[in-house]
Amino acid sequence: MTRRGHLPYQLLTFVIFAVSWEVYARVRGGLLIPTFTETVGASVKLLGSAELWQALYASNQALVLGFALAVGVGVPLGIVLGRFRTLERFADVYLNILLVTPMAAIIPLLGMSVGYGLAARVILVAIFAIVMVVVNSRAGVRQVDPSLIEMARSFGANERRIWTRVLLPGALPAIMTGIRLGIGRAVTGMVLVELLMVSTALGGLMLEYRGLLKAPQLYATIVIILAEALLLISVARWGERKLTGRSVR
Amino acid sequence: MIEIRGLSKSFVGQDGGRVQALSDVDLDVAENEFLTVLGPSGCGKTTLLKAVAGLVPVDSGEIVVDGTKVRGPGPDRAMVFQNFALLPWATVLDNVAFGLELRGVGRAERQERARALIAMVGLAGFETKRPAELSGGMQQRVGIARALAVQPRVLLMDEPFGAVDEQTRRLLQEELLSIWEESRLTVVFITHSMEEAVLLGDRVVLMSARPGQIAEIVPVPLERPRARSLERSGKYAEITAYLWDRLRDMHEEHRAAR
Amino acid sequence: MRARVPAAAVSLATGAVAWELIGRLAGVSFFPPLSTVAVRLAEMAAAGEILQSVADSLVNLLIGFTISLVAGLLVGVAMGRYRKVEAALGVYVYALLTAPALVFAPIFFSLLGDGRGSIIAVVVMYATFVIIINTASAIQSVPAHLVEMARSYGASERQVLLRVLLPAATPMIMAGVRLGVGRAVTGMINGEMFIAVVGFGHIVTEAGGRFDSASVLAVLLVIIAVALGAVWLVQAVDRRLTGWVPQTSRGSQ
Repeated sequence: MTRRGHLPYQLLTFVIFAVSWEVYARVRGGLLIPTFTETVGASVKLLGSAELWQALYASNQALVLGFALAVGVGVPLGIVLGRFRTLERFADVYLNILLVTPMAAIIPLLGMSVGYGLAARVILVAIFAIVMVVVNSRAGVRQVDPSLIEMARSFGANERRIWTRVLLPGALPAIMTGIRLGIGRAVTGMVLVELLMVSTALGGLMLEYRGLLKAPQLYATIVIILAEALLLISVARWGERKLTGRSVR
Repeated sequence: MIEIRGLSKSFVGQDGGRVQALSDVDLDVAENEFLTVLGPSGCGKTTLLKAVAGLVPVDSGEIVVDGTKVRGPGPDRAMVFQNFALLPWATVLDNVAFGLELRGVGRAERQERARALIAMVGLAGFETKRPAELSGGMQQRVGIARALAVQPRVLLMDEPFGAVDEQTRRLLQEELLSIWEESRLTVVFITHSMEEAVLLGDRVVLMSARPGQIAEIVPVPLERPRARSLERSGKYAEITAYLWDRLRDMHEEHRAAR
Repeated sequence: MRARVPAAAVSLATGAVAWELIGRLAGVSFFPPLSTVAVRLAEMAAAGEILQSVADSLVNLLIGFTISLVAGLLVGVAMGRYRKVEAALGVYVYALLTAPALVFAPIFFSLLGDGRGSIIAVVVMYATFVIIINTASAIQSVPAHLVEMARSYGASERQVLLRVLLPAATPMIMAGVRLGVGRAVTGMINGEMFIAVVGFGHIVTEAGGRFDSASVLAVLLVIIAVALGAVWLVQAVDRRLTGWVPQTSRGSQ
């Protein structure tokens, strides 16, 4: 994405953004709106504090466990749905509902059933990530050229060989895409957990800063969460490119 | 009608270096002439045509059409594209009327003119169809009708029959000849087919590649109006054979130079 | 497509029966059977509670989505048409598209206070960027020869944009708008749950606080209906605008 000659324009945009923020905050800002420089300063300071790292650890615990759960359940489920059409026809309507339904609304139910602890956070992250994993794994299996399967059959391949030699390798790029998109959704799920559930981790930190009117720290936490999200997504994209040898957007 | 003097044009190539598409091209096209341009791929023939259309700026030299220097597209020239360039969402009628619409011709008038031209290219009854519902040959008929609708003095055709099958191509060639006999437009016609160049053209401009230059201008002294039976004449065979000899030499030179 | 409608109906009916049975057999407070939820939904509807929040939420959605649509189309067209604009904004738009949008909610809260404004800002944050990206790449993937053709007939920049680029880009732009609507609905719910003053998010949070799971599920059903309805509406508009796209290339979108 960083094509030749883009950098000066990107820097220009950033400078305009930073200056407008600074000016706006100085002119209009109150207790709740920090300046750009205050936010940068607070971010640096926060990165050196144990408080932040403890919160990050707690939040990411839910992220990692939830994401692992989503991949562990989602990939096999997607593959099965892709291979067996009848099953898929019946599951389709639920996948569509899952795709359009805002998952945040089930947070109160989760709280009632398993409490607002780690389990609830892991489940929410998993629910967020699993849809992308299932849908892409399913598409991956479905897009394998049927004539390849016929070709393998004509050479006497049994079902097991067809799976290991044709279907899975053919579906792998799409599965990787699903896993990458799943990481993005898992991060979204984590943020949702932090902001909408009673949380002791990053969300709790933000609530505390808001309560104490520590606006620069509040904004700095947001910046750090954003940075983590973008970093994870970039790493996932890079990993997918390495693994499948294809360029992705 | 068209005077081209010292025309040069270069692009930035895929490897970042400059590619000389046209180098110091001089060419005159007479009024009512049917000029065909033939050459290997990469000889700049399409660039030449687009320069005359006013679609690409040139580095040096000038093009004068009917006494006026070309600075951009103008109502005196209309272009027919290799891949038809039809609007997929518009009907045949709206596609043919598109050039008129851009020039601000009123709805009733442009539809009337478009209908007449649709009939002329043999597509009466297809006015409300969309391009995807037509065959390649029919689509290019729409492209030709659209160009004729703006009543240009020069028709610029960029390998117009390159994307249709052989049989359709032969029908279209014959139709184009009869349209030209009636209208006596000045036509510049790009092709990569020797047979097509000789069948249609008063003169064949032979271009060579890297840099794009005019290698030779070959007159075609065959009587008009032309018919398909010409293909059996000795003169026709002689000219096409000569053109192929020259083109083959160019391909071999090019291979040796690499 | 025709074969799938009964499958969906059968599937939904099976799901409903399963819900009822599991709800009755399990007998846990957080998973009431479907009938209980349906009764609760009817009660809430009769009390006017549902209608009020539907109206509140739809206002948030409508205002937010309209802003997203206008901004998304304008910025997207500018990015698709002018390389410098793309160079200046591209990375940021991609970053904001992939970033979890709700993280900005506390910022809107501090800027706009705890009212409708903040919720609408969250909706905009959710929906705009996917529309920008799709519009920009739609404009960029319009075949160059169509633009060239129009210019050869003397089209002005305005005519090229209105008569060629926008119509040719419409199918892909609408794909972005469809995604945008889905994201706007999500943004609406999430925004309303973060700033729980009006709408669905408000009653879901409130019911959650009372441990009233039947109400939560009842509202969830309404939310699903609203989400599906919004997407269906956009699809209907899409079909009207892009009826010219050949059927064969439709499924691949």
